Order: sequence, then C-alpha cells, then structure tokens
Amino acid sequence: MISTVGLAGCAESDPPAFRLDMTNVVAKQIAPDHQKAIANILGAMFGTPDKPFALPETGLDQRKLTMSAGPVWSDEQGGKHGLYRRHCAHCHGISGDGLGPTAAILNPFPRDYRSGVFKFKSTYKPAEPTDDDLRRIIHDGIPGTAMPSFALLPPDEVAALVEYVKYLSMRGQMETALVNFVFEEGYEPEDPLDPSADAELKNIIVNDLLADVVEGWHTAGEQIIVPDESAIPPADRTPEQIAESAAKGRELFYSATKGNCMQCHGPTGLGDGQQTDFDDWSKAKNEFISDTRSLNDEIQELKQGLSQLKGEEREAAKAELRQKGQELAERSALVDHMLPPRNAIPRNLRDGSYRGGRRPIDIFWRVWAGIPGMPMPGVGPVSEGAQGTLTQEEIWQIVDYVQSLPFERVNQPQHRPVNVEVVN
Amino acid sequence: MKRFWALVFLSVPVFGVLTFVVAPYFNHWFPQDISEHGRVIDQLFMFILWLTGIIFVATEGALFYFAWKYDARSNREPVKFSHGDHTLEVVWTILPAVTLLFIAIYQMNAWADAKMRKPDIPVTAEITGRQFNWDVRYPGPDGEMHTPDDIVRVDGDIHFPSGEEVLLVIKSADVLHSFFLPNLRMKQDVVPGMEQYMWFKARETGRFDIVCAELCGWGHYKMKGRATFEPRSEFNAWLGEKLTEQQTRTVAVSDAE
Repeated sequence: MISTVGLAGCAESDPPAFRLDMTNVVAKQIAPDHQKAIANILGAMFGTPDKPFALPETGLDQRKLTMSAGPVWSDEQGGKHGLYRRHCAHCHGISGDGLGPTAAILNPFPRDYRSGVFKFKSTYKPAEPTDDDLRRIIHDGIPGTAMPSFALLPPDEVAALVEYVKYLSMRGQMETALVNFVFEEGYEPEDPLDPSADAELKNIIVNDLLADVVEGWHTAGEQIIVPDESAIPPADRTPEQIAESAAKGRELFYSATKGNCMQCHGPTGLGDGQQTDFDDWSKAKNEFISDTRSLNDEIQELKQGLSQLKGEEREAAKAELRQKGQELAERSALVDHMLPPRNAIPRNLRDGSYRGGRRPIDIFWRVWAGIPGMPMPGVGPVSEGAQGTLTQEEIWQIVDYVQSLPFERVNQPQHRPVNVEVVN
Repeated sequence: MKRFWALVFLSVPVFGVLTFVVAPYFNHWFPQDISEHGRVIDQLFMFILWLTGIIFVATEGALFYFAWKYDARSNREPVKFSHGDHTLEVVWTILPAVTLLFIAIYQMNAWADAKMRKPDIPVTAEITGRQFNWDVRYPGPDGEMHTPDDIVRVDGDIHFPSGEEVLLVIKSADVLHSFFLPNLRMKQDVVPGMEQYMWFKARETGRFDIVCAELCGWGHYKMKGRATFEPRSEFNAWLGEKLTEQQTRTVAVSDAE
C-alpha cells in the first residue's frame, strides 16, 4: 500500500505551452488545420514558454528572455531564472493572456498583453509603451489593483521581465495578425498554410506582418509626450498660485466644451458621471457573447423552419444546423469560461489613489493622451504637431485641480479616537 | 522490549534540548535585533524558554524513570493501589499556578511599553497595508498628515530615522494584515477601519525586512517590504529627494534609439 502511494505521484507533468486566443479563432471560424499551422508558425517564430527565442527583427535581447522564461530555478551563483513564472504567471498567465489561476478572483482583471495595448504610459495614445514605462509599472506596481510593487527585485531582473512582457505582447499581436490574415485572404480549410514550403507566404509573414507589429515597439521612444518647458508651472509656486491654477483647472474640468471631465468623473469627481461603458477588452467579449446569442437565435429559427422543408432542401438545412450547432457549442464553451466583461468605472478622483502614477507628469499624460483601451479620451494633440482640445497650460491647470481634490476639507479622513485610545 | 517505549519517551526531551542547542549554528535562531525594546522581548522569551525547558526536562525525565522502572516485563509484583496524596496534589497545583501568575505579571511592563504607553511625539509615517503591498505616507515639510505636500510611496521601500523614537499609524486598505518588523520584535495586526499605533526606537542602521504576518489572501507570502533605518539627516535628505521626485513635471528622453 505504501509503495502504491509512493509511486503514484512521481510522474513529471508536461511543460506548459502557449495557447491561441480561441475567442478570436472561433469568431473568425479558422479551420482546425489552420489553427495548428498558426500555432506552428508562432512556435517557429517565438519558441515555447520554456525555450523562447525571438527573430532578430524584433530587437529583443535573448539573454533577458532566457532569464525570464522557463521553470523557476537558481544557478550556482544565486542568479534567478524563471522570473516570469515566479512573479507574474499566476495572474498574467503563461501566454500573457491575463488568465492565470488567480486572475478570476481579482478586480480589475490582470492585463492581457496580447493586444499590445497598455494603459499607463508616457506615449501618444495609439503608440506602444516605452521600456521605461513598463519598468516603472513593474517597479511601482499599480496602487488600487492587485499589481504589487517589485521594487525589491534587482534592476537586472526587472529589465528581464520588461523584455519578456514585450515578447509576449509581440507574440500575441503576431497571432492576431496571422489569424486576421488567414480570415481576410479567404483561406479554405483544405488550403495549405506552410511558410517553410511557400516562400512568398514567409516573406509576407516576416516582412509585412511581423514588421508592422515590431515597428510600433521600436518607435515608442519617438512617441513620448514631452511637455513644453515654457508651459510647465515653476517649482516654487506659492500655495495661493497653486490654488489659482487649480481654480482655473476646475473651470475646465466642469466645462462641457473644454475638458468635459465631469461627464464621466461626475459632478463631484467621484467617478459617478456614468458607469455603463466598457473597456476594449470587455467590448470584444460583449461582441463575442452577443454574436453567440444571435447564432443561437438563428439555430432556433432554422429548427422551427425545418419541419416545412422536404428532401434535398431538408438535408441541406440539417447539414447547416449541424455545422452551426458545432460552432455554437464551441462558442458557448468559451463564453462559459471567459472572465466576465466588466463596466469601466471612471476613477474616483477624491480618494487620492492614482493607478498610473501620482506625479504631476503622470496625471498630465493621462489627461493629454487619455488611457488606451479605456473610454478615457485625451484632450491633448493626438500626435506630434497636431492640434488638441486644450493647450498645455490648460492641461497643467487640470492637473493642479485633480491633485487638490483629495485634500478638500470634505475629503479629509475622519479620525476615530475612541477605538485608538482604548486599544493603544 | 517494553523498555523500548520508555526509551522512546526519553528521546523526546533529548532531541528537544539538542534542537535548541544546535539551532543557532544553523542560523535558525533569533533574527538580529536592532531595537531598544527588543532586548526585553528576547529576555522574556529566554526566561520562559529556560523555565519551561527545565520543567519539561524534569517531567519527561520522571516519565522515563517510571516507564523504565515499572515496565511490565521486569516487574512481576502485583499493583499497589494508593488513594492519592492530598498534599502532593495541592503542591503541584499551587506551584504551577504561582509560576504562571509570576510570568503573567512579569511581562506586563514589557507589554505596556510596547502597546500602551504611546509616546507623545508627532507621527513619523502612516503605513497602509493593502493586498499585497505596504504603502507609506510621510507628513512632508509642513509636518501635517493629509496635506498636499505629503510624501506618498507605494513601492514598499520604507525609510525610518534611527536612534530616535518613531511613531507609526498603521491602517488597512482592504482586509486584515499584520505589519511585522522581525528585527525590531514589533508586530501589529492591521484591522480595516481601525488606526493602530506602533512605536519603536532603532539602535542601529541598515536594511531589514517588513513582512505580513496575518493571512490576507493569495499574495500574503509575497507581501514584503524593506525597512531602511538611517540617521535623521540622511532620512530627511531621502524625504526631500522623494518630495522632488513626486513633483516631477518633466520627462527625460534618451537620444539612444
């Protein structure tokens, strides 16, 4: 009996593998053979969770990827490996899809890197984050969410994790590009999809699709929003001057033509202006769910009409029903297992918690560019040289107002001396 | 072979004492103590350890002695019954009661110093525990909490001045946590809705752990921070640095591409 117990638990489990985004794959009705082919292409371009590599076009540092990837272990000098799995994978998932084992219990859900969209960065809205942006998020964490600070990690480990996040992001974006390519080119299920046998396909994949993905990352450094020196308020302002600027910011905040912030952030800045909007990730899920419902309705209609058909028409309708039924089963399984879509609740500006950073420059960036993936719009120019809704001086005034909100009398924490006196 | 069990019982105090003797050589003993108050806590610990240790060894020794002497195989005499000894019963009830009472009273001062005699000094910092991070808020140049010049840090890197009394307010942002500084022998459960006070005086400088000592969720094991103790001048300089950083309105753009 002891030997039975002893021998039962020693089998090694399979190494983890990347997963495709099945929601996208099923929505675009990619045939199973093409799904395998796409997975193979991605494997050839990016490797596995244990052994990653990146093509030179991506510009990623292989040494950092090796440090981050694979199982958790330490070498003889104490150098740590498997950093991603040690620190990140339980929320962000092996594929960077935000579907790790602890993701379902969190609010907000962890970031899904695969779209290449990151909320808190220093660049224009459509651009990718810089390495420094990612490093800052890992270092400071995101207060108000379950993303903790990793300031206690040595800088080289943080840098390795930044590289791995970019790697997962590029891989996810490449996967979407491949799926869209197969869909848009109208590949039939029996058409081959093998770049090793088709030079033109390989050329398209590397020099078109991958190049588009990588371009965004390589040009992020040029897309940083740099405030004009002349517009930045001086560091030695008196409290009266700051209050004056905040008062102007208040006007802009509540003006419907200027900042129009109160539309979402509410008439008192509590984030209750509207709470029914969704972020992009949830919008995609909502679309998938509603398409699944429509499919179900279609199937019900077909079933009802079936009794009136005869012969060949009836056979054809039954075949269509079978096919649609199969698709519905796949879709329903995905809907049951996906993390539910959630409303994007605008920030309560009176509690002093700022997710993307509390420095004036951080809030300046949020107001200028908005928050990508979220309904928060920007009021600054959308790219260099363009015209924005507000000037830079006006944006700094809004920053002053927002920073003053938690300190208004009404927001000061109420002290409860009774408990404290009795206890200690 | 019945005496085998007597020997098994003997092994308990033997290995027990051996473990404590050998533990410091494997670094399985007290972490370094850098506080004024920690000495008292450690002394109390050692006192109770010695007291209970000696009594433990004595009682286990008595157990071994009786198990050995009266084991069935080597003892063929019939059992003798006794109606008990009233004096013995009274003695071995009163003695432990007095001992326990002594321990309870002996530690009251240490407890009061750590938990009840709050020093009348301004608050050095307000620590907020949240899942799964320690955030800190310093009063800033105006010396008052919850004003616009507060220094707020969310990266778990908390600095304190050494060589002076430090008063902390500890709050929770969500669930139960416990702010534990092992190297100062100070621990305070953080209860949501309550503001707890903690005070201590560090004798030395250096960087030490902050850990969470109350299960708070899946990330409890990694809810760590680092407490840095430095002289007041360096502490003020650090605060100044963080205040400036908190007011950043510019961004450094590297020309390297």
